[in-house]
Parts: sequence; C-alpha cells; structure tokens
Amino acid sequence: MQVWKRCEMKIFANNLRLFWQGTVLSYVALFAWFRPVTYAASKVLMPLAQIIFFTYLGSYATGKDSVDFYVIGNAIQITAVSGIFGVTFSISGDRWNGTLPYLFGTPANRMMMFFGRAFMHIIDGALGVVIALTWGALLFGVDFSQTNLSALGLTILVTTISTCGLGLLMGCLSLITANVMFVNNTVYFLLLIFSGANVALDTLPPWMQTFSQVLPLTRGIASARTLISGGSFAEVAPLLISEIGIGLLYGWLGYLLFKWFEIQAKRNGSLETV
Amino acid sequence: MNSIEVKNLKRIYRATIGVIRRTVKEVIAVDDISFEIKEGELFGLLGPNGAGKTTTVKVLATLLIPNAGEVKVNGLDVVKDANEVRKHIGFIFGGERGLYWRLSGVDNLRYFASLYHVDPEVSKKRIPYLLELVGLKGRGNERVQGYSRGMKQRLHVARTLLHDPDILFLDEPTIGLDPVGAREFREVIRDLQSEKKTILLTTHYMFEADSLCDRVAVIDKGLIVAMDTPSALKRHVSDLSVVEVETFGVAPKVVDQIRELSFVDAVSVRDQGQRQLILVQTPLGAEAVPAVMSALNGMRVGRVTVREPTLEDAYVRLVGGKE
Repeated sequence: MQVWKRCEMKIFANNLRLFWQGTVLSYVALFAWFRPVTYAASKVLMPLAQIIFFTYLGSYATGKDSVDFYVIGNAIQITAVSGIFGVTFSISGDRWNGTLPYLFGTPANRMMMFFGRAFMHIIDGALGVVIALTWGALLFGVDFSQTNLSALGLTILVTTISTCGLGLLMGCLSLITANVMFVNNTVYFLLLIFSGANVALDTLPPWMQTFSQVLPLTRGIASARTLISGGSFAEVAPLLISEIGIGLLYGWLGYLLFKWFEIQAKRNGSLETV
Repeated sequence: MNSIEVKNLKRIYRATIGVIRRTVKEVIAVDDISFEIKEGELFGLLGPNGAGKTTTVKVLATLLIPNAGEVKVNGLDVVKDANEVRKHIGFIFGGERGLYWRLSGVDNLRYFASLYHVDPEVSKKRIPYLLELVGLKGRGNERVQGYSRGMKQRLHVARTLLHDPDILFLDEPTIGLDPVGAREFREVIRDLQSEKKTILLTTHYMFEADSLCDRVAVIDKGLIVAMDTPSALKRHVSDLSVVEVETFGVAPKVVDQIRELSFVDAVSVRDQGQRQLILVQTPLGAEAVPAVMSALNGMRVGRVTVREPTLEDAYVRLVGGKE
C-alpha cells in the first residue's frame, strides 16, 4: 500500500514538474526575443492604446457618463491578448518549431503538457488587466473607493482563466489550420462587441445576446462593472461560477481536440504536414 | 534476444487531390516488410528517397499507426503499448527542426527531461554529462538559434539520450552536416554502439553504413530487397568491377546509351559541381572502358579508373542503378 502511495506521489510530482516546466519554458520560448524593456513597454502601452481609443470613441458617441463603462470593459477585455493570442502562439509554436513529433513521442501526460501551455498566460493576462485598470484610474478617474478589491482580483483571475480556455481551443485549431491568425483576429474583434466590452448587451438583438452568453469575458466584464460600482461579492458570485464553467468547457474542448489531433496525425501521417 | 521485431508491416498514405472533384490517391510507403534487430545491434536501413525508411522509423517510434502487420519493441506492441514503448526508445529525424530555438540548449534538455519523467536530481547530473558527450560542453546556456546545424544535431542526440533509452532510431542524422560535423557525429554513434544500445540507422551514405552497421537492409519502393552484413552485401557485386569516368556536362541521353550497352549491369551518376562522375558496373572490368568511351564520343572526359565494388555499388545494383 505504501509503495503504491509512493508510486502515486512520484507520478503526481512528475506531472506537476511537467506542468510547471511546460508553463515556464513555453512562455520563455514565446517572449524570449523581447528584451525586458520591450516586453514591459508592450504590457504598459498596449492596454493604454486600447483604453484611450475605445473610451474616447465610446464617450464621444454616448456621453461622458459612460467613461467607466468603456474603461472597465476594455480593461477586462485586454486579457484576450494573452488568453487568445498568447496561448495560441504557445501551442502553434510547436508546429513551427517542428517539435510535435518529439512531444508526441514521449510518454508525458498529455493533459499536463496541454494545460501547462496556458498557465503563464493567466498571470500575464491578469497583469495586463491590472495595468489597464490603473490607466483607467489615472487618465479617466475611475473610482475604486467602493470596490471590494479581493472580489475584483478574483474576477480578473476567473475571467483570465476562462479566456485562456478559449485560447486553448484556438491553439488546437492552429495545429489543424494554417490560417489561425485570421480566426484569432476574428474572435478578438467579436469579443470586443459581444462580450459587452464596448456595447451594452441589452441593446443587441436577441440572437446576439444569446451568442454573448456562450462567450468567455461576458460575465467577467459584468462582474467587474458591478464590483467597481460598489456591488458585493454575493451579487457577482453566480456570474463568476458561470464564467469559470464556460472557460473550463472551452479548455476541455481544446484538450479533446488536441487528443483527436494526435490520433488523427498518427493515422494519417500528418504530424509534420499540418 | 531481439529488441525489435517487424512482421509484415504495411503502411499506406492517402492523399486527396482536387478541390471540386476530389479523388483519393493511395501510396504504399511500406509494403509487407519484415526484419528483426538483435539487442545491441547497429542495423542500417538504406534506400533511395521515398523508399519507406522514414515511414518505418515513424511506426517504430509510435508516431504512425501501421495499416497491417505487427511491430514490437522490447516485446511491446507499438500501437497497443505505445506509452510503454516510448520509455524505452529515443529517436532523431534529420534536419534542424524539433528544438525550441529561442530556448538555450540546457532549457531544451530540461523540458524534454520532464517529458520523459527523468528525476530532477538525475537530470541535473545527466544534462552536463550529455552535453560533454556530444561536444557541446560550455555552449549549453546559449540559445539554440545561434547553434550551427551540426550543434543542433548533436543537441538532438543529447535530447534523445536523456532518459537513457535502450533503443535508438536515427533517421538520416548526418544529412546536411559538413564533413567534419558528420565525422564527429559518427564518433558519437560509435560511442553509443559501445554502450550496447540497439540502434536503427537510416542513411543515404553507404560509407557510413559500411563503417558503422553490423547489418543492413536495402529498402526500395516499400520492399526490402536485400538484408545482410555489409561485407556479405558487397559479395553480391563481387563479380563486377566499377568503371569511373569523370565527365563535364554529360547529358542524360548519353547515360542512357551507356546503360543500354550489353555488358553494363548498372549505371549511376554522381554530381560534383561542374563535373559528373559516371559509375558503370560491369563484369568486363577494364575491357569495358573503350566501349564506354565510345558512347561518350566527343565529350570532354577527365580521369578514368577501374576499381573493386563497394557497398554503394551493391546498393546501386539492388535498387536498379537509379541514383
């Protein structure tokens, strides 16, 4: 019994190590061409550009009272940069590096290998949101005095995880199609509208509102707006549960697609031709 | 004891052609081949491009599911027990790809060590040892993108040895390496051979197979056309001599004329920049030279020699003098 437990512990430790190393190294491999200064600038300036653009455009069209709406919506939506593009690059990088045969030729746990690719992007995405909200406070005077900051932190984390879930699915598509950047850009812009970042959901036609409900971010943005305007954690808890559920569903679909891809590639001999 | 057993292996690729009227084309890459490799043996798989060498290696490395046949590695089925097989094997495909170029050599090895479940304490000692073994000592912390092709190939060897596998599949590992790099690489293979690793090596270079392999199989159009020790294969052409004629700008039509001569067994041409070396296999030896020269009538000809056949000549005869 003790031997069995030791064996299980060893497998667990191996999988944890694989998860962690996959996480760190895939992230380093992705951003290693950046110098720290360039990376920091991209983390600071990109959220600034998005917030300025949509907040000025939106408040010009709908009035100055709606500044908080655009700042919060776009700040949370920033997570899609890491969640969609970052995670996709982490997975598609194996295609361009030609490492897929070598990965699939190892006895490694595929689930750890797969989900490990997203972990650093969760931290990266959450950091991007915090920077964007800071810009919102500094430039547009968004007031956090009534905000339950712990609940907001949880909201940011949950929303980033759920966006990375969609990113994992998109990343798997990058193993199947060569045009995933087109798909990624389309998804990113759809999220700008359908997540409620820039358009109030109740102004959308019913079918669009339904579509919004199956996307990550939608409930995360609603939750952040509620919390920043002084709402309680109890009010947003159901939204956060649904948000994480949607993210995990996308992530799981991505994992199933990843497994399917591996099997099909071995059947069709298409591991290097994808 | 056999480390590898391949029985009646068959692998077909299907390609879809056309956009509107889609037709499925089938290509038989490996057609009912069988062979065994003994524990500690270095076995060569030789053949022209598209002969089925890489397909065979991919099946053995659990990266391709065969259409028919039985393939066992250390007694384990490569399809049913794929994950267990992976613990016992290491493999390299020729070329520079398959590494994370933006990571250092050490980081690449650390990541693959975790993929192979190598204990961190073990990998901490093993990575420097392997870097030294493959001649990358002192270069491990540099990014792979700055490595030469030979260094990348050697890093591949280190990667494949991380979990100390008993069996190695090396698919054209010296392709694209400069002569010095290729020679160093062959030394690494010899070292591995001395460690009693079972090695399957595919190569285009006959001298490489001749100097390294215990046995070789020649594969052509998915079929094994010969399998023996290099010296026994050379005996297949012991009745022949090889006339080598150095030419400058020989036309394919002229080569065909030589091939049609009654005493010619096989002809191959080796491009050497501006020059072409025509290799004519014939039982006549030096007596064949006047007729060959007559076929080359009017052409600029350099050195002409007659020599004993090599493994390459045996190979050319077996695959029909196409190369």
